[in-house]
Amino acid sequence: MTQDENDLLDVAPGQPHSNILSETAAYVIGLALALILTGVSFWVASTSVLWGPGVAVGLVVLAIAQMGVHLVFFLHITSGPDNTNNVLALAFGVLIVFLVMVGTIWIMAHMTANMAPPPELTNLQMQH
Amino acid sequence: MTTEAATIGLTHGGSEDTGLGHRGPESKSIVVPYGFWLFILSDMVLFSALFATYAALVNATDGGPTTNQLFDRTLVAIETMALLFSSFTCGLAMIAAKRANMAWTQIWLLVTGLLGAVFLFIELYEFAHMIAEGAPPQRSAFLSSFFTLVGCHGAHVTAGLLWIGTMMAQIWAKGFKEHIVRRLLCLSIFWHALDIIWVAIFTIVYLIGTLP
Amino acid sequence: MSVIFGKLTWDAIPFHDPIPIITSAIVLIAVAVVAVIVWRKGWWPYLRDEYITSTDHKRIGIMYIVLALLMLVRGFADALMMRLQQSLAIGASQGYLPPEHYNQIFSAHGTIMIFFVAMPFIIGFMNFVVPLQLGVRDVAFPTMNNVSFWLTASGALLINLSLFIGEFARTGWLAFPPLSEKEFSPGVGVDYYLVALQISGVGTVLTAVNFVTTILKIRAPGMSYLRMPVFCWTSLASNLLILAAFPVLTVTLALLMLDRYMGFHFFTNDGGGNSMLYMNLIWVWGHPEVYILVLPAFGIYSEVAATFSGKPLFGYRSMVFATMLICIISFCVWLHHFFTMGAGANINAIFGIASMLIGIPTGVKIYNWLFTMYGGRVRFTVPIHYLIGFMLLFVGGGLTGILLAIPPVDFITHNTLFLVAHFHHVIIPGVVFALMAGYTYWFPKAFGFTLHEGLGKAVFWCWFIGFNLAFMPLYLLGFWGGTRRLQHISDPTWAPWLNVALLGAVIIGVGIVLTVVQLWYSIKTRDQRMDVTGDPWDGRTLEWLTLSPPPHYNFAVLPDVHGEEAYWTRKQTAIKLDQLIKEPDYQPIEMPLGTPVGVICAFFASVCGFAIIWHIWWMAILGLIGAFAVFVWYAWQDEHEHVIPVDEVRKNARERRRIRMEHLHNLSQST
Repeated sequence: MTQDENDLLDVAPGQPHSNILSETAAYVIGLALALILTGVSFWVASTSVLWGPGVAVGLVVLAIAQMGVHLVFFLHITSGPDNTNNVLALAFGVLIVFLVMVGTIWIMAHMTANMAPPPELTNLQMQH
Repeated sequence: MTTEAATIGLTHGGSEDTGLGHRGPESKSIVVPYGFWLFILSDMVLFSALFATYAALVNATDGGPTTNQLFDRTLVAIETMALLFSSFTCGLAMIAAKRANMAWTQIWLLVTGLLGAVFLFIELYEFAHMIAEGAPPQRSAFLSSFFTLVGCHGAHVTAGLLWIGTMMAQIWAKGFKEHIVRRLLCLSIFWHALDIIWVAIFTIVYLIGTLP
Repeated sequence: MSVIFGKLTWDAIPFHDPIPIITSAIVLIAVAVVAVIVWRKGWWPYLRDEYITSTDHKRIGIMYIVLALLMLVRGFADALMMRLQQSLAIGASQGYLPPEHYNQIFSAHGTIMIFFVAMPFIIGFMNFVVPLQLGVRDVAFPTMNNVSFWLTASGALLINLSLFIGEFARTGWLAFPPLSEKEFSPGVGVDYYLVALQISGVGTVLTAVNFVTTILKIRAPGMSYLRMPVFCWTSLASNLLILAAFPVLTVTLALLMLDRYMGFHFFTNDGGGNSMLYMNLIWVWGHPEVYILVLPAFGIYSEVAATFSGKPLFGYRSMVFATMLICIISFCVWLHHFFTMGAGANINAIFGIASMLIGIPTGVKIYNWLFTMYGGRVRFTVPIHYLIGFMLLFVGGGLTGILLAIPPVDFITHNTLFLVAHFHHVIIPGVVFALMAGYTYWFPKAFGFTLHEGLGKAVFWCWFIGFNLAFMPLYLLGFWGGTRRLQHISDPTWAPWLNVALLGAVIIGVGIVLTVVQLWYSIKTRDQRMDVTGDPWDGRTLEWLTLSPPPHYNFAVLPDVHGEEAYWTRKQTAIKLDQLIKEPDYQPIEMPLGTPVGVICAFFASVCGFAIIWHIWWMAILGLIGAFAVFVWYAWQDEHEHVIPVDEVRKNARERRRIRMEHLHNLSQST
């Protein structure tokens, strides 16, 4: 197969792949969506309209949405067959990120709860 | 689909191929950005370890300053806008580069770099201010982890600015050769990834960290 | 403390310590002798052009393995010293190593063996073999490959420097805080450890990027995923683990460096620091690390089993599935390294169960190797010795692992000699035997002649017998309360067991010496064992298609792959039809040029690293600038490839075809 045909069949992240108008449109839409989501995040964090504990969850969801916007509109990660390797790599990365963060937070919460020094000793540690 | 576009791997047609290797080794314009994508994913794992550290130590203030006392959401909002728009302009630079348009490529790259510099300037100001207010990283575990997480992102932004400058010089000196455009593509992947990390930072550190 | 020399003074050189100073002298003299020989015999241009600046994956693989074998000598010397100390320092005697030295020795032993013997050896094999097995010319990023090797070598250099200038860490191979913090380890030892590992860690991550990209994107035409050799699958899994785990190591060591250098409070006792966080993070890396080592080792066993049984590998798909399953599960078990730290029963239970689950896909693999051999015509070559030895021993080591995975059992055996016995029990039969098997198996491909078989078997028996003697007693001692890393033994009834262990270590030492002898003797008598055809073992995978050693570009034309066991089917067809495939259309071949970038970058990295360790800030900055400048200089060049003319390609290819035709005729005449 020739070089050209090779390139037809797989795409790397971030490679735009149509005419100038649709490429620019992708970035403009991405920017607009990201701006909206960011604005909503800042609003959610400062309003008292929402139920307290739900705010953090909502912010995380909004953050994930913003990351998705970046991945799709700026990095052109799609679900087409030419993108399979990119998506698989991303999925693997997300899995590891999840394991590291959730695993550490869960373990350390238990560790600190079970193994924190008693209050009488804690004072000794606040020197400098 | 022009031959130039095909040469630098821009085109794709729907095809039955799903990466099963029937056609032999892929071309460099696929291989290089894919390798860089893998590196970016490893960088994401790096940041996840820093986030995990931050989450584990966020309450270890040792009687010192806490998030609520230190963080300024207005500054964070400005930083966020700067970085987000810089991602946008980086995308525009890529569009210009694919069309081998020297003027617009350089202009958009310059704007991207300037917006990145604005971001860094505000961040350094924030750090200096915190240190002056008696909240240096040596004060407590929470502050150590804050400075390291946010500082590591800032260091990546700094490296990105150096890279943008280098690319502007290379494009100017050598034009839009295939390997130069490939490097630009890697730079844009890097720059977008930095904004993704920033989304996590401003959400987790600055917003969730200062909830009433 | 001075601006020019930082913390470095003449006191850093251990003039008053006989062991390091004599070792240093011997090493310096040896290096000087080698340098003089190389210069006098005019070997330098060859070394420079064919190895040091080479971007050829085969050459880089060989350099990795040479590095690993050299570091094995030091790591093993440490082991022998520890065994000797434990045999001598019983009851009233204090042995010959005071605690501050003994502690450095066991720390160096672990660090060197994992990071500078096992890792480079495995990576060396992946480098040499994977592109050949995939039927391609090189890895995805050949220059980066060269840089990776030299960064690893830079780390090894720093570790070795710590013997001559300064000291090494006394904290064990993972440098747990608070002991590794500045307050309790004010010297440079921990800094040597941290800097060396950070530098070589960069090299390792770059290797992973290289190999995952290569395996996923650069394969011969027709080689779909399920037609790849199992060694390539295990390399993929291992490199994915490196990509995922090493960033966590980088962060953890960096946080400790920030604590030590800038007074941060991640893991300190004061300021809100939490040393348990270090344990958690370091083992998030540490557990995948051992799978990074063992998965390619399993891949080597798969190749060896199939080739020397004369049968395809049994259960290829289940092997692939088991490999990827181990890859994922290995990231879910890390807490079993600190059951005793206090996470509580629920968390301990979950990680304990996960740790036991990982034994299942491993068991699947053992059965597959057994069934590969069953019904085959097994040739009892040296690699098969290692395979059988592995299958017999590794199961035991794995079973003690299952024992340790039960938290209540682990509460008793954690950090005892039982644990030490367990991990050597899995690593030596699991990884080291595979390395020795692979060394024997692929040596002819690399150098054009096979190693002496008799000496190879002697080496095997030294390892097999020596290992059992050295480590089985430690299980008992662990049960009887023997903690790990003891500089002095208070119970004299342990003496006979420790002496058996010492004997075992000595026998392993004999094996290592015999390996050197085997190499020397094999080179001397190589004319008797030349690998003329390039296929000395009647192999089944594509590396055996080439002559030994292969040309730089591996294949004149990339082979078309039509099924599993690409080479075997092609060979059988040629034998049946008594002719080779139609001569292909030869083209000129573009190959990357060699480059000094790697060795120069590593030089500056070493300078920067040494400067950071000794707080010589101006030198550190210069080193960084130097490394960056080299990189930019390299990036500014345009010509990174050269073209091999079609006449040369055709000439080499026709020579290969002629030799193969002759071999075919010999085969058909003998049947």
